[in-house]
Amino acid sequence: MQLRIQNLLPTYFEESKKSQSDIWGKDLVFSKGELIKIVAPSGSGKTSLIHFLYGMRNTYEGAVTYDNKLIKQFNQEQLASIRAKKISIVFQDLRLFTDQTVEKNLLIKHHLQPFQQENKIKEMTERLGISSKLESQCGQCSYGEQQRIAIIRSLLQPFDFLLLDEPFSHLDNDNAVKAMELILEEAALRNACVLFADLERFNPYPQTRLLKL
Amino acid sequence: MSNSFHIIKPLLLKAGSHSSRILSFAGLATGVLLLFCCVQMYFNLQQLTKKNSIRKNGYDYIAIRKSVTNETMGQKKLNMFSSGEIADIRKQPFADAVAPLVANNFRVQLSAGSLFDFQTDFFIEAIDNDFIDTLPDSFLWSEGDATVPMIISSDFIELYNTAFAPGYGLPQLSDATISTVVFTIICYDRNQIPVEFKGNIVAQSDRLNSFLVPKTFLDWANKKFGGAVATDVSRLFIKTKDANNASFLKYIDSKHYRINKDKTLFGRAKQIMQGVVTGLGIFGLMVVVLALMLFSFYLQLMIARSKDNLQLLLTLGYAPGWLSKKMSGQFIPVYIYIVLIALVLTQLFQFLFHKYVMYDRPELSTMLHISVFILAVLLTVLTIVANFRMVKKILYRFGMNQL
Repeated sequence: MQLRIQNLLPTYFEESKKSQSDIWGKDLVFSKGELIKIVAPSGSGKTSLIHFLYGMRNTYEGAVTYDNKLIKQFNQEQLASIRAKKISIVFQDLRLFTDQTVEKNLLIKHHLQPFQQENKIKEMTERLGISSKLESQCGQCSYGEQQRIAIIRSLLQPFDFLLLDEPFSHLDNDNAVKAMELILEEAALRNACVLFADLERFNPYPQTRLLKL
Repeated sequence: MSNSFHIIKPLLLKAGSHSSRILSFAGLATGVLLLFCCVQMYFNLQQLTKKNSIRKNGYDYIAIRKSVTNETMGQKKLNMFSSGEIADIRKQPFADAVAPLVANNFRVQLSAGSLFDFQTDFFIEAIDNDFIDTLPDSFLWSEGDATVPMIISSDFIELYNTAFAPGYGLPQLSDATISTVVFTIICYDRNQIPVEFKGNIVAQSDRLNSFLVPKTFLDWANKKFGGAVATDVSRLFIKTKDANNASFLKYIDSKHYRINKDKTLFGRAKQIMQGVVTGLGIFGLMVVVLALMLFSFYLQLMIARSKDNLQLLLTLGYAPGWLSKKMSGQFIPVYIYIVLIALVLTQLFQFLFHKYVMYDRPELSTMLHISVFILAVLLTVLTIVANFRMVKKILYRFGMNQL
């Protein structure tokens, strides 16, 4: 299982970006088991990159391939299938059903492609300190709590690649460490590759590769 | 994903206006009921008219002639059928066979001979034997025979016995007697020289309103006394499976031919009733289409209200095909209930129609025609497929635009 980018550059970026980046314009292969850290300042295209890898946007030159198949050529059923089974994500803007309860948000993902027993949900929420919020409406939780909900949600499915787009931006250090530990455990369980995009270096993350965007 | 729909269902089927949903369902039910009733009524009509038109050998024999108008009066040719017109009639799908009724082209007189003093100028006609309803073996003539067998219309006997004979003091004739009467047929050639033949009535016809002689005799006599085989035809007989057939009546009307209205009166009524039923059927179909459109708008509105949730579900990995199937599948029971209710009501109406309007006529069935059931299945499948495709199309559009 490989995720590969070749000579990738957003259409709205100038060519000069290629010379300043470890990713834009390069040929990179991400394999299972790797822990990739992508460090980038604001506006350098982190979210664009994550969206390209997730098949949400096609506004780029170059190629993104999953298992040697161009993601751009995937139809919507194929995209749905890899999103349910192969690639999971934590969006920077979280994308939760804010008018639903925390538990419902998690069950919606769990039922899509169950990877663990349902009681694992409770255990994860306890570890990240949001178990008391299970019955609360998501929209009424703090942004930090919502980030932890989004993280747990991303871990409730099978995946080969986990895409993290600034997942700890609203978490204190202690909660970020707990969340990272949970992510690493779940990734190890699946021997998955984690692509962690953040503004700066996050120490508790034992990356195998560091790339500057 | 099989058990996950109940989790996401509240996110998707956000109830729209309750009244608009009820309205669209009621409209659909009304349209479907109307459509089923019309289809059933159409088949009822077919059954009833089919039974009514059955003849002994399964055919109607209809005489057609041209209308004699003030304009065509005196112009013999215009009131005759040309060979082209006869050929055109033969080509029509309703005409199983066509035969001209050939008349004499020389002067003929008929005398009752020894029985009573009666002599009159007269006419004789001939037609293919296939068209004669009462054809005895003795209805044959070959050159040299002195006796000519005749078949006459039973109406003429009736008129003679009830009107002519009493008025003139002549004896009334029974069926048995009439076959024993020896008539004299006097044929005059172009020089008015008479040649006599004996004539005896060998049968009476309910179908052919004429005095018929064997075709072999008339062809011979026309040539011998009139100088040529007669080609002018003023009456044609058409053999058709159903004289009440709409296309037959339409053809006759379009050509301004005249026929015996009694034989086609039922067909005229059937034509009108079929027109009414077809009109109602089209109306029913329109109601069904409108109701389906209304329901489709309702579904689209519901999807539009759930657009954000749907887009997020697609982003998370829910497949658009599966979602479409599940969403449109929610309404399958409703469609089935509507069609079933309409079927039950149509069945009830058919029962009441058969029992209390048609008084259990055997040609009708209390059960609905199989076509109504086929239509019900088709309509249900069509509705389900159309809605599934519509929802899927919308979801694919959402999927393309997830940001």
